[in-house]
Amino acid sequence: MSVADLLERPQYSILQAEKDVLLLGEMRRLTDHHRCASPEYDSILRALGTEKQAASIAEVPYLPVSLFKTHLLRSVPEEQVFKTLTSSGTTGQAVSRITLDRPTADLQTRALATIMTTLLGPRRLPMIIIDTPNVVRDRRLFSARGAGVLGMASFGRKHFYALDDDMDLDVSGLERFLMENKGQELLIFGFTFMAWKYLLEKLRVIEVDLSQATLIHSGGWKRLTDQSVTNSKFKEAFERHTGLTRVHDFYGMVEQVGGVFLEASDGFLRAPNFADVLVRDPLTWRVQANGEPGVIQVVSALPTSYPGHSLLTEDLGVIHGIEASAKRWRGKRIEVIGRVPKAELRGCSDTHAAQVGQ
Amino acid sequence: MTLIERVAPALEPVDISDLSTSLGVSTWPPFAEEIVEFAAQFSRRLARRAGPVPELQALAYWMRRSAVARLARDYKSLESPGLLMVPRGLVFHVPPANVDTMFVYSWMLSALLGNRNIVRLPSKSTPATTVLIEVLRSLLDEPQHDSVRATNVFVRYGHEREVTSALSAACDLRVIWGGNATVTAIRESSLPPHASDLTFPDRLSFALIKTVAYARLRSEVRDELATQFFNDSFWFDQLGCSSPRVLVWVGEPPAGEATDFYKRLLRSVQAKGYSVDTATALSKIAYAHRSVLDHGVTRVTAPANELTVLELGDPILESGDYSGAGTFLNAWVSSLNDLVPQITRKHQTAAHYGFRDRELRDFAVALNGRGIDRFVPFGEALQFGRVWDGRDLLQEMSRRVVIQGQP
Repeated sequence: MSVADLLERPQYSILQAEKDVLLLGEMRRLTDHHRCASPEYDSILRALGTEKQAASIAEVPYLPVSLFKTHLLRSVPEEQVFKTLTSSGTTGQAVSRITLDRPTADLQTRALATIMTTLLGPRRLPMIIIDTPNVVRDRRLFSARGAGVLGMASFGRKHFYALDDDMDLDVSGLERFLMENKGQELLIFGFTFMAWKYLLEKLRVIEVDLSQATLIHSGGWKRLTDQSVTNSKFKEAFERHTGLTRVHDFYGMVEQVGGVFLEASDGFLRAPNFADVLVRDPLTWRVQANGEPGVIQVVSALPTSYPGHSLLTEDLGVIHGIEASAKRWRGKRIEVIGRVPKAELRGCSDTHAAQVGQ
Repeated sequence: MTLIERVAPALEPVDISDLSTSLGVSTWPPFAEEIVEFAAQFSRRLARRAGPVPELQALAYWMRRSAVARLARDYKSLESPGLLMVPRGLVFHVPPANVDTMFVYSWMLSALLGNRNIVRLPSKSTPATTVLIEVLRSLLDEPQHDSVRATNVFVRYGHEREVTSALSAACDLRVIWGGNATVTAIRESSLPPHASDLTFPDRLSFALIKTVAYARLRSEVRDELATQFFNDSFWFDQLGCSSPRVLVWVGEPPAGEATDFYKRLLRSVQAKGYSVDTATALSKIAYAHRSVLDHGVTRVTAPANELTVLELGDPILESGDYSGAGTFLNAWVSSLNDLVPQITRKHQTAAHYGFRDRELRDFAVALNGRGIDRFVPFGEALQFGRVWDGRDLLQEMSRRVVIQGQP
């Protein structure tokens, strides 16, 4: 079984026990590969005392995701670098830099495609993008948001950007688009917060029918939880005001190619065949029992050009058991709770400087 | 008119243009009865209110009546028949954001010396500052402290340059604690021609332990030493300028000694109930990984979230973007002099165990000012003293008047 097979087999169809075996093989292969190809990665593993091969996925060594903010780690010679991805980040914050070679970049494209076609079918659908067209046009705005939109845009056609630069909904444009594509399946994509704030909030007062659409959204719940909007409230509101019932959140990060986790019909996220989530106890760092919250570790069989196959994130999550019976959506039922709350440390020199610097 | 928040005496908005003039022009004689009494009462009341917070207890102890009396004697000894010490005038204090007790040390010393003071409190309030301000405010409200109230003010404002500039323009001495960026930012506001800055920028501290001396110790003494080292390093989450970040074993290479010491340190951490939250634990994990690439760490050991030991390949006295909260870079050198090339201006405190005074002195002589301002025994790294960062604050916060009689 190779990465290609994991991509080929129907997504979310592999039983967890089989998947653990398949992924473990990939994790061992990648750990060995990165140790050989990246002296930095090897020196870290040596310092951590990781000598023997992992006997289970839980034993696979992980890197903290923030390491890519301070260090450029790659497992390919410089001349094979095809592109460098960067993470979003507010001004002044360090951004992650991820090195892709051609094969890894291709795998990334195929991975996203197999995930999306599983959900949307093989045909590209007329697509509404909850953003301004300038998010992909204007170089100055070009960011992880722009990259996200561009990445998703390839799964739709006849793209309609629903917002203007002031984040105001183009109501007449939307009505025209819906008229032109009447009776057809539609795809809607946007960031979670923007879907709520700039689309749904407007659609509460305007009558539109989105019952033919599938909404895919991403970006995290932080700003919505602050307004006590939960995932179920989010979905309920979309159904009530627009008739939209197929709503899928997804979770992933630029630091891990292939680590794309899509919300299944039961409201929990699922890992694709080539990736998975582990939840670790923040005191012992052992893998938590199902149902116990902890820090999320993501693993993916895709990152070959940089040592990102096993990463400890800064997010909290829970595994709500494992789906084995249903034919669709097998695997761990994953919930992402959100960011680990910020620390309040003291010391004499740090925070003041950060404030003064503004 | 720009209004800022006056925190003490009594909380109310004040106009910055009135602030410095409201304190008048007169100074008090050094160690005047009123301010000495104020310090003693502050100390007593704080000791009662401080509860188990060790930083507050240490502050209360520092300004107890007998300690202030000793300070007054030290001050007197700086004078001579031909040299009189007098106050500087108006002192503007910019304490660090997060060593929450620092503003009191800086202010109290200056006030004892007779200066008028404007203290800018850190914008972030911690439980310790809340207690300090409450005690301070209640004392300043009492009629017997009228004179202290009239010449001292504690304010809080954002980072408006305008306010800093107005206060800077009015002062005779500006005391800036905090990081390099803070010092640089505050210095953009100019001082009157005669005034000067007393700056305390970023510093880095470490500890020295002689391997053979530790090897000789009985178990109970080792535990005691570990507890002292706990106090040095874990208060202020190891992020104080004087908190040791690197532990250097000197002489024989530590065989079991380092392992033994950290085992006892961990027990001490657990006994004291120190714990880190998940975000801090993650930041320590990230630092440990970075340290392998940035500092040549060859071994990472983390028996608990509260204790991370990073074995250095070479004795580098650097910590980079440091996580604190129980993160120790562990190193070995065969003699103190091997450290000389590593020491720079940035190194402040060397907490030590197992050395004779002579050895420390020889080391300091060999350094000849390269760096290190304090050699203190384990357990006293964070103890504030009148000589800080190489300067005697009793002198820096005073002026000297030469009185030369007729021949």
